[in-house]
Amino acid sequence: MIRDVTSVIADCKLVDLIKILSRHKISGVPVVNHNQEVIGFISQHDVIKATLPNYLGIVSSDSILSEFIQLSKKLKEYSQHPIDEFMRKNVITIDEDDNEVLAADLLIRNKIQRLPVLRKGKLVGIVTLTDICRLLIEKNENSKTQSYSSNFNRT
Amino acid sequence: MIATVTLNPALDVILEVNNLKLDQYNKVHNAQVTSGGKGINVSKAVRGCGRETIALGFLGGGRGRIIEEELRGLGITTNFWHIEEKTRSNTIIWDKKTGQHTLLSEVGPQVTEYDLEMFHSIFYRVMSQSSIVTLSGSLPRGTPVDIYANLIDIAKERGVKTILNASGEPFIKGLEGKPFLAKPDIRKSNKVFGIVIDSEKNAINAAKEVVRRGAEIAIVSLELQKDIIATQDELWFAETTYGKIVNLIGAGDALIAGFAVALAEEDKSFREIIEFSMACALASALREEEEFNSRKEVEKCLKCVNVKKI
Repeated sequence: MIRDVTSVIADCKLVDLIKILSRHKISGVPVVNHNQEVIGFISQHDVIKATLPNYLGIVSSDSILSEFIQLSKKLKEYSQHPIDEFMRKNVITIDEDDNEVLAADLLIRNKIQRLPVLRKGKLVGIVTLTDICRLLIEKNENSKTQSYSSNFNRT
Repeated sequence: MIATVTLNPALDVILEVNNLKLDQYNKVHNAQVTSGGKGINVSKAVRGCGRETIALGFLGGGRGRIIEEELRGLGITTNFWHIEEKTRSNTIIWDKKTGQHTLLSEVGPQVTEYDLEMFHSIFYRVMSQSSIVTLSGSLPRGTPVDIYANLIDIAKERGVKTILNASGEPFIKGLEGKPFLAKPDIRKSNKVFGIVIDSEKNAINAAKEVVRRGAEIAIVSLELQKDIIATQDELWFAETTYGKIVNLIGAGDALIAGFAVALAEEDKSFREIIEFSMACALASALREEEEFNSRKEVEKCLKCVNVKKI
């Protein structure tokens, strides 16, 4: 796992979220309460969906030019709004003692990029598919008896 | 977890040359880039003891991301607030021929009110998953001089023990927050509250003054390998005896880390905590570069530690 617990609280403003995503160069962050417990997740994707109401329509259209002005207006309008208006509330998480087989399953089947890792219910890191692929590709391919699983706190 | 705060970290670049010639091309034989800052050093040493640690503070720009990647690679959890300006860099030109070290130190970035507000929010949350927090080092421009006292208040409110290791005004103001442990940083000036630390008697007086000003426990370094520890009612003398000290940079931070690790274990007596701290400092001083990376190295050093109540 990536030992980073960059996160935001529910009343974080949209403009501040964008700053964080931009400075850290990440696509999304977990939303936590004051006790570091994960209560949601917010990504760039969620922001676009919320500020581009005709999102589904334009995905299959030829150009977003007409919607671009709308996007700009909405982003400015929502800039001071708390991100809990846009976040995903049913967030999927994994425990530090779980293994990468479960992590891969959750990431792929739920089509998510980042999976928060918890220890005693509190955020201690994040797992991405890239991490898992790296872990698997670097493991000794000759060993037939080794198990495919290992706990995240060892990585 | 043991949390550490480094408000003014740096990227340290060490360049090895042979016979530095100014105003000319010099070939660099070996270049090392590593993250620096007292709190960061504490986290590295805590990790070296096999314990979980989370590093907080301010980072900015590409240098900030390099520091974060290095720390995560060492197994240190990070939760820095990223500022607009870039993290400072310290360049050390080490001339192997003459043995001279030339340090070129950048003035750090400025932090804004907004940055401080965001940092406080992160700090408050991280205290809910920490048992001890260390507050170390210098303050970046824009930081109020009493910030350490503020952070101590927040930590205490959340049941977290505090360790303060700084110098000058930030240290004096920090003591007003009444930290659990305070160790003045005497690298730049070996005076503590006007007392010159050049004898055991002076070190004892300085340590007592630190306690009088608010700390429950005070540690004052007397010289290489000797420390005085004072509490309200007790006085201790600790020393390590080993000839081949290689690198003292970070030894003071390793001492703090050792204290935090031993304290977090809850089954150690005060004497054992002091012994472990000294062993940690020694283990760090025996390593030329990086930090020690196993508890065994620290435990081996225990036999060179001598602690007695005065």
